Amino acid sequence: MAHRQGRIRPPRRQPLLGRGANGVINDEFEPCWDLLKQALVDIHRKDAGKLSFEQLYRASYKIVLRKKGDVLYDHVKDFEESWFREHVIPRIEVLLSRNLLSITLVNQPNSNSSTTERRELGEKFLKGIRDAWEDHNLAMNMTADVLMYLDRTYSSESGRPSLWATTIGLFRDSILRARLGSMNRELDANTTIFDVVTAVMLDLINLERDGDVIDRSLVHAIANMLDTLYETNDELENQRLYLTVFEPALVAAAREYYQKEAQTLVRESDASNWLRHTKHRLDQEYERCQTTLIPSSTKPLAKIVEEELIAAHLKEFLEMEASGLKVMIDHDRIEDLAILYELVHRIDDKVTPLKDRIQTRVMELGLEIEQVLKKTDFSLPQAGAGEGNDDATAKPQPLNQAAQQTAAAIKWVDDVLSLKDKFDNLLDKCFDNNLVLHSAITKSFADFINMFARCSEYVSLFIDENLKRGIRGKTEAEVDVVLDKAIVLLRYLADKDLFERYYQKHLGRRLLQGKSESQEAEKEMISRMKQAMGNTFTSKFEGMFKDMELSHDLSNGYREYVRGLGEVDNAKIDLNIHVLTTNNWPPEVMGRSTKDNEQGQVHFPPNITQLKDSFFKYYLKNRSGRVLTWVATAGTADIKCIFPKIPGKETGPLSKERRYELNVSTFGMIVLLLFNSLPLGSSLSLGEIQEKTNIPVSDLTRTLASISLAPKSRVLTKDGNPKKVDKNDNFTFNASFVSKTIRIKAPTINSASKVEADDERKETEKKNDQTRAHIIDAAIVRIMKQRKTLSHTNLVSEVITQLATRFKPDVPMVKTRIEDLLTREYLERMEDGTTYQYLA
Amino acid sequence: MSAFNSSAPPSKYVTLVSSEGFEFVVLRQATYCSPTIKKMLDPNHQWAEAKAGRCVFPEISGVVLEKVVEYMQYWYAYREKEDVPDMHIPVDICLELLQAADFLGMDQ
Repeated sequence: MAHRQGRIRPPRRQPLLGRGANGVINDEFEPCWDLLKQALVDIHRKDAGKLSFEQLYRASYKIVLRKKGDVLYDHVKDFEESWFREHVIPRIEVLLSRNLLSITLVNQPNSNSSTTERRELGEKFLKGIRDAWEDHNLAMNMTADVLMYLDRTYSSESGRPSLWATTIGLFRDSILRARLGSMNRELDANTTIFDVVTAVMLDLINLERDGDVIDRSLVHAIANMLDTLYETNDELENQRLYLTVFEPALVAAAREYYQKEAQTLVRESDASNWLRHTKHRLDQEYERCQTTLIPSSTKPLAKIVEEELIAAHLKEFLEMEASGLKVMIDHDRIEDLAILYELVHRIDDKVTPLKDRIQTRVMELGLEIEQVLKKTDFSLPQAGAGEGNDDATAKPQPLNQAAQQTAAAIKWVDDVLSLKDKFDNLLDKCFDNNLVLHSAITKSFADFINMFARCSEYVSLFIDENLKRGIRGKTEAEVDVVLDKAIVLLRYLADKDLFERYYQKHLGRRLLQGKSESQEAEKEMISRMKQAMGNTFTSKFEGMFKDMELSHDLSNGYREYVRGLGEVDNAKIDLNIHVLTTNNWPPEVMGRSTKDNEQGQVHFPPNITQLKDSFFKYYLKNRSGRVLTWVATAGTADIKCIFPKIPGKETGPLSKERRYELNVSTFGMIVLLLFNSLPLGSSLSLGEIQEKTNIPVSDLTRTLASISLAPKSRVLTKDGNPKKVDKNDNFTFNASFVSKTIRIKAPTINSASKVEADDERKETEKKNDQTRAHIIDAAIVRIMKQRKTLSHTNLVSEVITQLATRFKPDVPMVKTRIEDLLTREYLERMEDGTTYQYLA
Repeated sequence: MSAFNSSAPPSKYVTLVSSEGFEFVVLRQATYCSPTIKKMLDPNHQWAEAKAGRCVFPEISGVVLEKVVEYMQYWYAYREKEDVPDMHIPVDICLELLQAADFLGMDQ
């Protein structure tokens, strides 16, 4: 290709000159210039159609070749200047009526002239400017084309700005920067036409902001003009007049306008209106920059709207009583919140103002749940509480204490979950699933949940309730939802060890008493917990399931074994045994509470003892060296009872012998077997029964209550208060017991998983603290073993981070544990008093 | 403005005329190889050449203009290609060709 580096110069000697075919052109400057000058006049008069470009170009070409470029340059410049003086400026001056000036510059918009008048005057003036500009621009383009050889060679070589830049710059110097001082005495002597242009433009833009219709293309043309012109003829890119003069004025005017508007909005409007209005304004300004101004103004203008309409009064709007953020959240005003998020996100990436207020609101709503819970009366059965029988008598029975607590727990969990759903919904629909907000909301949930002292227990109860009956008749997907909800809550809990304890207890009851609705759901729950909390968290629960399976096999195996022995009379008693690993099961179930240890084993009746021994023998066949402790508290027994015919009754059920199958707790069985050996009609006092069976008094009271108070299973009769079991009561076999059903289940008083009473809860917490003490000990020793020496503060903080996944250890507790380890000589204080050393 | 008076789009071809009156009909796009001719034909400015679609060069001989036109076609044909064959330039018109190229602004 011919595009080579460098320029190819024609020879200095000009053999062609003077050889012009038509004789118009020769090598003299003057004829050439005369030709060009006449052409310039024609160009300005828009009469160029008859001019030959080639001829004009050739003329300028020759002048330049003759080294007269500088003269041509100056001539053209002078010509244009005088043209301006004589033809353009007078036309503009006509437009600069006194009226226009006073409206735009002196009085500003508050003048008494109507907006229409103002707009028309302004537009007329701008039109004049635009026309003059367009004429000049076209003429200068044509001139520059004709003189392109001049710009190509002379201008670039001499270092002068191109002729194009110079002549187009004349418009700026001769018109825009012309001073008006002489025309109007009210004005500052330095006021220029440019000031008028800017003022009129801004006035028009403000009129449009007010809803007026203006000539957009006109404003656009002027904006483009300002974007084409530069501060100097050097045409530096960042020196465009639009950028240096107009845009700052535009921004200032916008700021003033929106400041006022924001104040009006704060005074007269509400947050919802404000949101929509602001969004509308943002869109408007964006569109204005795209269509009417220069797109580069988009950002600065948006910033003004953001600052003045959003940031400046954000607080006021968010805190508006009747329409602020609080109301938006409470009434799920999705649309409002979505706009709000969009707006706040514009001014602050981290959406701090929004985040803080949402957090506060979550906390408030969370604490409200607790307040409501305290006020709600659970003594009446509630829908969904599951405790009240729907088909019961007309007046609902008051619920007992435990059931009330359970209902409260379920309500609490439901409320928390629905609050969570609410905010999840908002997060998804309004907040673009913003991570900052997500974690803020999560944190607030965790905070208020953990501020509620019984959260761990309630969550576990919720799961318990659902696994017992809640999921009955539900599809797998629905069950999934319930489980998911439980896990969501679980994640919030800080004291996971406390939850673990409660869950263990509840799970234990479910498993042993066969209350669990679905084995699969149980397992699913565990596996989800495992996913969420890790393997160690669920190891005990899994151990419990394993125990259950092993026990099942063991029971079957024993049955086979007994059959093989052929001890027929013992086969009367069918044994279903649960062999439980001590550590996996809650101490309550395992009967490891302190009272039992003091009182020792329960006395079993002889045939039961025999059975016990026989099983133990079987058990030890494959597993030597193990110890089985018999826990009667958790078991049940089916007893076949024969109630004798009552003498004297010839009709009715009492007239014949009645056989019933009675399902009672293991203790119940022991007590009933006691009456087997007594003559009919004789009685035993509670004290005597206790003495004979060695059942702990509290358990015995419950047991007796279940078989002597409940009307459907009143196998024993008692004297004294018929509502309550008392120490001095005497119990007698109820020979005239009648039941409609063959199978009777004695209500087990402690079967319902209930919220603990306060003292019980303290007990649990105490136990929990003990466990924690060991865990903290272990953590301290683990850390010290590794570090050998460590300062007190470092040690404490490391202990806390290590244990954070399980619970939040409090600092005083850690301190006491360190003290304890010091006295036990695991650690040693160094000389400086703040550092510890590990003693192997 | 007179630029928009001619409603029909300008012809695809323009005529270049040498000092002796030889006429070369060239693809309009090809002539844009020369900035001078391109501006000459600028439809917005409506110079006499643009209106007529005919550019007269009283100071370029037919021999030279022929070579210029040949180059224009060459430039147009290969404008977006690589690996272009060389174009033959007769030595005897070299100087005149250079002058014409400078005049037409085709040296960039």
